[in-house]
Amino acid sequence: MNFIKNLMQNLVRGPSTVSYPFGPAWTPDKFRGRVAFKLASCTGCRACEQVCAPGAIRFDKTPEGLRFMMWHNSCVFCGLCEHYCPTDAIQQTTDWHLAHAVEDEFTMAIREVIAYVNCSACGAKTLSSAPNPVGVNPPFSAEEIEQQRNLCPGCRKKALAERGATS
Amino acid sequence: MTSLKQMFSTQTRRMASLSPWIYRINAGSCNGCDVECATTALIPRYDVERLGCQYCGSPRHADIVLITGPLTARVKDSVLRVYDEVPEPKVTVAVGVCPISGGIFRDSYAVLAPLSKYLPVDVNIPGCAPRPQAIIEGIAQAIAIWRERL
Repeated sequence: MNFIKNLMQNLVRGPSTVSYPFGPAWTPDKFRGRVAFKLASCTGCRACEQVCAPGAIRFDKTPEGLRFMMWHNSCVFCGLCEHYCPTDAIQQTTDWHLAHAVEDEFTMAIREVIAYVNCSACGAKTLSSAPNPVGVNPPFSAEEIEQQRNLCPGCRKKALAERGATS
Repeated sequence: MTSLKQMFSTQTRRMASLSPWIYRINAGSCNGCDVECATTALIPRYDVERLGCQYCGSPRHADIVLITGPLTARVKDSVLRVYDEVPEPKVTVAVGVCPISGGIFRDSYAVLAPLSKYLPVDVNIPGCAPRPQAIIEGIAQAIAIWRERL
């Protein structure tokens, strides 16, 4: 008589089928999905390129600056880039809606350029990347990060020493 | 007589468009994507048969072909032979990152990915492995393409 119990339970609970694609689908909060890139936080350290197992992340030098490229069609969602990113510039979202027609194959990518600027202190050509605040004590404030962004590596070192920070 | 023939033809097309059958080819996959494909059919939570689809055992009955795996050198000839047995019009869906770009096996001497060098692929479902709902999303796109071709 167990089936009557099951029948009653099913009548009360309704079908267990998720209505997707006709309705919304539930996604776990910690789901590792499509990678998102935040250009403003990227230090250009290229650690993500180094650890990316399928080679989905690539950096190349263009006349405008250092270009970050990431192809979703090669990403295996391992999460190493997110783990090794010192400034959380690269993060995995819970988005898994990646199915696409084959014509859009190469638009399924992130292409962002960390532009070249002239150092605001010495005028040398440098990348306008975010400073790496790991281990800096006291930590950088938002204004300091913006100041450091337009300094060349030498001037950054000097500014850090004048600030009295250990890094 | 021609009108009867035409009517028969349109009616069969209409009926066929409601139930595209799916055939799955394993082109050297690690079995991850195959498990997810089986999940879409066997687990009531996902249930791809709501879209009128059914996994069939013979390529000659199929309308939509799901291909998993990076197309290893050893399996290439068999895959192409089985693929040619699927009657036209057919829609090809690449499941997982392996057939699309090679994924983790990219640039290996034993792997011939991308699959699109050998077959006309229509829909990509990236993921390693893709979520069952993502596969259903891709199959829904494939059905839309298939209805246009029919």
